[in-house]
Amino acid sequence: MSAGKTVLRVENVTMQFGGVVAIDNLSMDVHEGEIVALIGPNGAGKTTAFNCITGVYEPTNGAVYFDDQLIAVNHPSGRMKRAYAGQNGTMYAGKHVHLTPDKITKRGIARTFQNIRLFKSQTAFENVLIATHLRKKSNVFTATFRLNHKEERAMREKAMELLKIVGLDDVADEKATSLPYGKQRRLEIARALATEPKLLLLDEPAAGMNPQETDELGAFIKDIKERFNLTVFMIEHHMNLVMDVSDRIYVIDFGKQIAQGTPAEVRDNPAVIAAYLGVDDE
Amino acid sequence: MFDKILPYLLAGVSVGGQYALIAVGYTMVYGILRLINFAHGDIFTAAGFFMVYLVAAMPLAVSVPLVIILTVALGFTVERVAYKPLRSAPRMSIMISAIGASYLLQNLMWYVTGGLAKQYPVLPWLSDTVSLGAASTKVVTLVTPVLTVALVIGLVMLIKRTKIGMAMRAVSRDFETSQLMGIKINSVISMTFIIGSALAAVGSMLYFTNYSTVTPTVGAMPGLKAFVAAVFGGIGSIPGAVIGAFIIGICENLIKGAGYTAFSDAFTFALLIAILLFKPNGLFGEKLSEKV
Amino acid sequence: MKKQSVAKPIVSALVVALIFVLAWLAEKTNGSSSMLVTVLKKGAVYALIAVSMNLLNGFTGLFSLGQAGFMLVGAYTYAIFTIPLAKRVAVYQYYAGGCVGVELNFVVALILAGVVAALFAALIGFPVLRLKSDYLAIATLGFAEIIRAIVQWDSLGPVTNGSNLLKTYPTFNSIMPKDMSVLFPFIVAGVCIALILLLINSTYGRAFKAIRDDEIAAEAMGVNLFHHKQMAFVISSFFAGVGGALLAMYQGSLQANAFKSSMTYEILLIVVIGGMGSVSGSVIASFLFIACSEWWLRFLDNTTFIGDFQIPLLGSGFRMVVFSVVIMVVVLFFRRGLMGDRELWELRCAPRRANKGVKA
Repeated sequence: MSAGKTVLRVENVTMQFGGVVAIDNLSMDVHEGEIVALIGPNGAGKTTAFNCITGVYEPTNGAVYFDDQLIAVNHPSGRMKRAYAGQNGTMYAGKHVHLTPDKITKRGIARTFQNIRLFKSQTAFENVLIATHLRKKSNVFTATFRLNHKEERAMREKAMELLKIVGLDDVADEKATSLPYGKQRRLEIARALATEPKLLLLDEPAAGMNPQETDELGAFIKDIKERFNLTVFMIEHHMNLVMDVSDRIYVIDFGKQIAQGTPAEVRDNPAVIAAYLGVDDE
Repeated sequence: MFDKILPYLLAGVSVGGQYALIAVGYTMVYGILRLINFAHGDIFTAAGFFMVYLVAAMPLAVSVPLVIILTVALGFTVERVAYKPLRSAPRMSIMISAIGASYLLQNLMWYVTGGLAKQYPVLPWLSDTVSLGAASTKVVTLVTPVLTVALVIGLVMLIKRTKIGMAMRAVSRDFETSQLMGIKINSVISMTFIIGSALAAVGSMLYFTNYSTVTPTVGAMPGLKAFVAAVFGGIGSIPGAVIGAFIIGICENLIKGAGYTAFSDAFTFALLIAILLFKPNGLFGEKLSEKV
Repeated sequence: MKKQSVAKPIVSALVVALIFVLAWLAEKTNGSSSMLVTVLKKGAVYALIAVSMNLLNGFTGLFSLGQAGFMLVGAYTYAIFTIPLAKRVAVYQYYAGGCVGVELNFVVALILAGVVAALFAALIGFPVLRLKSDYLAIATLGFAEIIRAIVQWDSLGPVTNGSNLLKTYPTFNSIMPKDMSVLFPFIVAGVCIALILLLINSTYGRAFKAIRDDEIAAEAMGVNLFHHKQMAFVISSFFAGVGGALLAMYQGSLQANAFKSSMTYEILLIVVIGGMGSVSGSVIASFLFIACSEWWLRFLDNTTFIGDFQIPLLGSGFRMVVFSVVIMVVVLFFRRGLMGDRELWELRCAPRRANKGVKA
């Protein structure tokens, strides 16, 4: 794999909820143009990692860089410092950055959700249309008085085009939540694409899909990656899909990284096999 | 100096105790249903009217327990009619239903009473005047805090020691799971409303003995203040609600004493906004967060 | 993709014109003080206020109960700046004619009423909009109570006239030609509601609805929650302020004590009856609500005899009881209200919309 420049860097991130350490000193890199998978048993902290990257959670310790810019950094001070000793402690001492999710999306990270979160009262078309709001240039007055009708038309065209790309243009006017599961997942991807991301985070995109849909999904992810010049970082349980599309894989368990490497390397890693023992891959 | 403050301090402690008895109803219901029971203040008012009408017809020894029973029945009915059908509805719908129930109770009381203020019956002993140093006050002023604290301690024991108390704690911790564990949600919720209404009934006897007239909308303000007390103390926490109520009662009366009567109500809400900003979980509340 | 047909704006313009003509005819034939015209005027005022509340509660999903407070601000702003200078000594009789020496044109004052209410909202919104649903409800309710207390504060008497009446400012009857007073609230409310409709159907309106449906997803799609909530709150309060000023014009005199939380509850219930998230629903419900409470259900308040037989239950206050029972029935069993989250004009188009997607 030709490693492009680093798009996303997660550095020594720890996320603690009270006494529970959901992520423990986790570091990951995602390079431009890659498809990277994050796998691990249930409850390993995968979605928590995504939430730290997208600003839903503020990490307890550590830093997240996107495009060489800090998007999150936290470092406990005072007595708590010792608990996280050796984790780049001096580098960020006193520094504190926490962007809200919308700011991070604006920088170019878009995501889908594990437990689908579509706008339930809206149609498929409107769901995608809402996500184009981020790149608008009009303000509330020009929008109200329809002085932005060119932009409005461009937004609608773009939303429709995205629906076509994900193959949902025939259900554009149906309520998003009335669609079958597989289509809802693809609609979430279309909605994320509408924010014009550089990095796309997919949280279990194949969950709830039937085997045929899952097979198609692999090709689909590769296709949109090429078409939109994306970098993809995804959480997934379907090992066939992961092995098929990923350039690299990170494996975490109990919040800690236990392995990383190419699909072939990870497959043969004894630590991974141990973590997954008794877990059905299919 | 102290002589001047004392009467206001006494009044504050007394009103605080009455707010506390209402606040416990709010905080328990919120703890379990995550619902602001807007009708609670009106149930409190209704208890006042029950007393007015019952005392006219029967001896006090009968009417006092009967007032409590009727108030409990009313609280139970409100829950069954206005809240139970909406158990799985969005939060906003239940809140609207609570506002609707409050509106209905107020209009019903207006219809029954003709909208006129009713004289609250004089309760023997409670209405007697005692002098305390330079200040003189009604017995009820001194009885309220003692009775409040006693009732609340009893309630805390009930919640800590009994089976229904354990069920209440379980439901307030996790609604769905406790349902799966076989707890009868509906009876727990009913019990919560029954306890809340009974305490509101006692609170109303103390409150109206102090203020002597009952009107259909009189309960709205003490209701809201008791709710603020519950939020201040950390909603869901019973001791928190009681302490919050005493603080609000005392502050409010001290402000009145300083000559800013118009602002005594405004103060309560300013306090609310301040606490929500700086300590949104209140003094003793637990942090709740949504899972993504 | 969604083609605006040429016919649609023309049809809506015609419908609006027809409504105006009918309202005017109603006043012409029945007289300005007839029950019908009273209901039309008050209904139009309430329609604007209900729609402004719907923008917040129904479209943005913010459960705010501060509406009466913002109406109060608007109403007072309007009255304070329009009472003729010559009459101020009489009105502010306890405060030596008051201290506001400015008299504005009623149109300017009407806009100012909205602006001042919006300013208050911007100040209040900063702290309270960070709160979760029910805390927001209580905080805004509390704010309305604080405003009411402050307005009645004796020290502010030279401005607000304390707890005394404000009167002699321009009303519907005084500013409109004879038999046309009903048109004023119709025009102002109509323009305001049209603006709200335009906003709701713009990209900002879509962002509001996204927040209502799922805050977390909306934020992940790049919608700045606080910014958009603040925007909805300020705009809703602007129109509530204008609505409050209209209410003051309708009433002819003004007292802070009328703007209690029960007023907010009433408006909320109108919104619920009409359907959370439906502008036309709120408008229809407002007229129905006002017609019932002022007119059609009045008979319930009078003790009535048929021969020697007194009809049971009828009597003072019974109307409101019936009313609140009806409201509870709607809240419990018809939770979507009259219109749900759809508009009157969408009902007919429903089948066409589904086809459109297939063709595209």
